[in-house]
Amino acid sequence: MRFVNSQDYGFSTMAIWGLVYKFTCLCYRSLDRIFDIVYWPVISLLLWGFTSMFIASTSSFAGVMEFFLGGAVLWSLFWRAQTDVGTFILEDFWSRNVYNLFASPVTSIELFAAIGLIGLIRCILSFLFLTFLAWGLYAFNIMDIGGTAIAAFTSVLLLFGWVIGILIAALIFRYGLRIQILAWSVGFIIQPFSCVFYPLDSMPGWVQGIAITLPSTHVFEGLRYAIATGELAWQPLLLSFGLTAVLFILSIAYFQYALYQAKKLGLLTRFEMA
Amino acid sequence: MALLEIRNLRKRYGTVEALQGLSLDVERGEFFGLLGPNGAGKSTTINILLGLIIADSGSIRIFDHDFASNHVAIRRRMNVAAAFTSMNGVLTVWENLMVYGRIYGVKQLPRKIDELLERFEITDLAKRRLQHLSSGQHTRVTLCKGFLNDPELLLLDECTLGLDPDIAEKTRRALQAVQQERKTTILFTSHNMNEVEELCGRIAFLSQGEILRVDTAAHIKRLIPHQVVEVAFQAGSDLTLIRQLPGISRIERNGEHALRFVLDDPTHQLDPLLRHLTQSGNPIVDIHVSRPTLEDVFIKVARGEL
Repeated sequence: MRFVNSQDYGFSTMAIWGLVYKFTCLCYRSLDRIFDIVYWPVISLLLWGFTSMFIASTSSFAGVMEFFLGGAVLWSLFWRAQTDVGTFILEDFWSRNVYNLFASPVTSIELFAAIGLIGLIRCILSFLFLTFLAWGLYAFNIMDIGGTAIAAFTSVLLLFGWVIGILIAALIFRYGLRIQILAWSVGFIIQPFSCVFYPLDSMPGWVQGIAITLPSTHVFEGLRYAIATGELAWQPLLLSFGLTAVLFILSIAYFQYALYQAKKLGLLTRFEMA
Repeated sequence: MALLEIRNLRKRYGTVEALQGLSLDVERGEFFGLLGPNGAGKSTTINILLGLIIADSGSIRIFDHDFASNHVAIRRRMNVAAAFTSMNGVLTVWENLMVYGRIYGVKQLPRKIDELLERFEITDLAKRRLQHLSSGQHTRVTLCKGFLNDPELLLLDECTLGLDPDIAEKTRRALQAVQQERKTTILFTSHNMNEVEELCGRIAFLSQGEILRVDTAAHIKRLIPHQVVEVAFQAGSDLTLIRQLPGISRIERNGEHALRFVLDDPTHQLDPLLRHLTQSGNPIVDIHVSRPTLEDVFIKVARGEL
């Protein structure tokens, strides 16, 4: 069996629907999966909402509320997309379903298409909830930056979230449940380098070197530019979208490689026994 | 042409050689047993056939297609029921079967699920979450999943583990019925020798990653040629004359008035022995002839005595 095999990239819509059905059942049967749509995003919104209210009341920094709350709402999208991939993969490990799932004709494309679909729905729910909450609590409406800007920013963040989630899933298949904490923690490592709440040029030079390679940085830079000028900086946004698309393809390829290695080492069946 | 053809399959984990050039043919419609002690290579073979483990070398053809280059299409036509695996615990039995039915592309799925739940007598469990089932109930759900897509090749790995004798018997009947109705080819592993003997037409006996023998249970039992004859007499016997009979590898006292004979070639030795004993003048009060069982062969293989 080769690492790259054309049949691994085929898909059946019925299989995708089967997996979406499974993830939907998991969501409404598990309080954790319902809770995490709103819990951390709300905590983040409250934290940055009150922080920005305080800063606004003590300084002349114009637009502080929009910068912070816009960052918090959009960051929650990336975080949701990234953790959903890892969590839905981990569900099969926790329930000892890896054996049956990978003995079935399911392909990686079908698996990620289903996780992507259910993740997209959860992200939209989370985004709408936060948008209404931000508007209700702080009179901040992120939709003011325009539908095109929202679509552009969210698509890059969703795709980048999936890239990180797929890479973590690949590592879990290769190294097992002992690294499962990465599914929740990697987002917190990326956040400081993504310029979510502060501009790129405010950071030390070496950090800027790292930050500029992350697609998320260009989204948050673009968000602040859009809030300040009412215009969209297309060039960096298109570049970051292109970069994310390339990373997405590479992450799928790395997942296939990690799965191949797990099968070579006989790890898939050992996870089941664990 | 065989439905399953395995040629020279090798798999090594570090220094351990799990499969050492295993070759095997399984014909369409066969109920085929894989037997062997722990570490013999049964599970590794099954896991390679499922695509869960990649072999180091060798080839597999299933349904006359190369497995390595057609494994997704081939897996749509096969299935597995393994006792030590699970599905999603928070989902109900019905939901789990709906998920796998869709993955396998089963048509008229609800009707199919109803039919299987009824056949394995677990219709009442349909709405129960999998995590709330007993191990026996869980095993039967796993079997339902195994038959969902009417597989042409079904791999059953210890699939009756944890069932009480009554349910295990019903499950064997159900397995036989489904297999005969649909001409499903079944590759079966179990540590229950009676079950293997009852269900399987042919058996491959594995040891240390190699096939020792592929044959019917009756022929495999002949790997142990001797029979044991236990005879109880009315009074104590003198062993001196009996010891002179040829071909008796061992004679032991088995209680005060009883003897135990191990015959190397029962076809030719049983009759002379019994004639000698009946003519000895010491009346026989009980006699018992034990033939080797599959379990005896299994134990000898496991201990490296065969």
